[in-house]
Amino acid sequence: MAEVSVKEGVETRDWIELKRKPVADIGFDETVKNLTTEKIEKVVNAVLNIGKNAARFMAPLETCIHCALCSTACHWYLSHDKDPTYAPVAKVKMTLWELIKRKGKVSPEFMKQVARIVFCECNLCRRCSMYCPFGLDIAYQLGMVRRICFILGLVPQNILDQTHSLSATLNQLWLTQGDWIDTMQWQEEEVRAEIKNVRIPIDKEGADVMWCPLGTEPKVATYHIARTAKIMNVAGIDWTVSAQDGWDSANMGMFIRDMETMQRVVRGIYDNAMRLKIKRVVLTE
Amino acid sequence: MYDFIKDPSIYNFVRGPLVWIAFLVFIGGSIYKIREMVLLAKKEKVVYPYMDLKLSLRSLLHWLIPFNSRNWRLRPVVTTVTFLFHIGLVILPVFLLAHNVLIYESWGISWWTLSEGLSDIMAMIVIGCCIFFALRRIFAPEVRFVTFADDYLILAIAFLPFITGFLAYHQWLLPHKIMVILHMIFGSLMLITIPFTRLGHMLYFFLTRAYMGSDQGYRHSKDW
Repeated sequence: MAEVSVKEGVETRDWIELKRKPVADIGFDETVKNLTTEKIEKVVNAVLNIGKNAARFMAPLETCIHCALCSTACHWYLSHDKDPTYAPVAKVKMTLWELIKRKGKVSPEFMKQVARIVFCECNLCRRCSMYCPFGLDIAYQLGMVRRICFILGLVPQNILDQTHSLSATLNQLWLTQGDWIDTMQWQEEEVRAEIKNVRIPIDKEGADVMWCPLGTEPKVATYHIARTAKIMNVAGIDWTVSAQDGWDSANMGMFIRDMETMQRVVRGIYDNAMRLKIKRVVLTE
Repeated sequence: MYDFIKDPSIYNFVRGPLVWIAFLVFIGGSIYKIREMVLLAKKEKVVYPYMDLKLSLRSLLHWLIPFNSRNWRLRPVVTTVTFLFHIGLVILPVFLLAHNVLIYESWGISWWTLSEGLSDIMAMIVIGCCIFFALRRIFAPEVRFVTFADDYLILAIAFLPFITGFLAYHQWLLPHKIMVILHMIFGSLMLITIPFTRLGHMLYFFLTRAYMGSDQGYRHSKDW
């Protein structure tokens, strides 16, 4: 791969069509310094070996006829004046197919470019699967590339930090249990200014509904909690929130394919549901 | 070269053993590939529990009808060409009069056939569609970006049996017998390569479509 000068205003010369302005992100710029081709090769082959035993991974690889009919599905493609490098199949070509072709022997700079494509130019929304005549799961393939990038540590700093928070506290934004309970009681007082004797029941065993907010709600959007409390009380729903960790339904681990944290977050919610013997889990979205 | 091809033993070989080999490889290879993929899917925890016959058939049928899915409607030209091409590709070889005559001579059985005029038109449509696909690969930017050499190769594999068959029928360009021999070689080549190249999308279409139809249907959503 040719050296790229900053003056050109592009980050790569692997494909002449791929023109991107450099964007600074500590998660990419700092971690890429610690990578070597050997490390990348090891991780890529480890993940692809798992992929070889997965039909969802192999079937699209052997079926895709490169018709690019998926492109009209992608909001990235449509909002960039139909730039071919934003088409879903093009993203697979520039990342997964190239990693397979080169058997993982790629430079750290190439890997940084791959991470940028899969994290910053694709939302894994699976809309392309609705437009593919074969119904190929393109998002699953790009998710595998995200998994490679995650293991290498090439993840946007913001989302990586939130995943670290989830793995340490089971919530997205470093809240302690005290913060969480205190916020709920504070919001209970706030709602009482409008509805008499309203309750936000914490850890009520045998309730019908357990509400799991996103970490952002107790952290920065507390009025959401007040509104939910109003709705639940006026609707007469027997509800509760969990006092123990595992109340946060934000699952950043899923987005970066940190499967270990992902399953711990889900397990935390289910554990609380079992502990409180509730009938239904309601998530914020 | 001409003398070599004109040799009766070549004709006897492509007329007999080669066709047998081609069909055996095609059928055996197809069964093998589908079996492998189904077994692979069984190993995955999240594929089989979602599979649903009704939802799979719903998705398959929906996508097999032209202009039924949103993406088919968004691209009317590509849709028309795709459907005409694939209909011709499957129907024409099976119901062609000349093919039926060969089978009748060998085994004494035959079935409903297309008229010669209609067959001729269908062959021209398939050839035209191939040319359209090649031009699309060259001129549509989003397709050109993801085009590799093997994309042209598999297009050529589909194109050659039809162009040689068409020329043989009209007895143009090369002597009839040589063209027929070439036609049979390319036809066999296509059958042999279907299970082992991305022409195998013919086989996997039903599997991947069934999976996506079930996966989306399970969530009370549609995949079109």
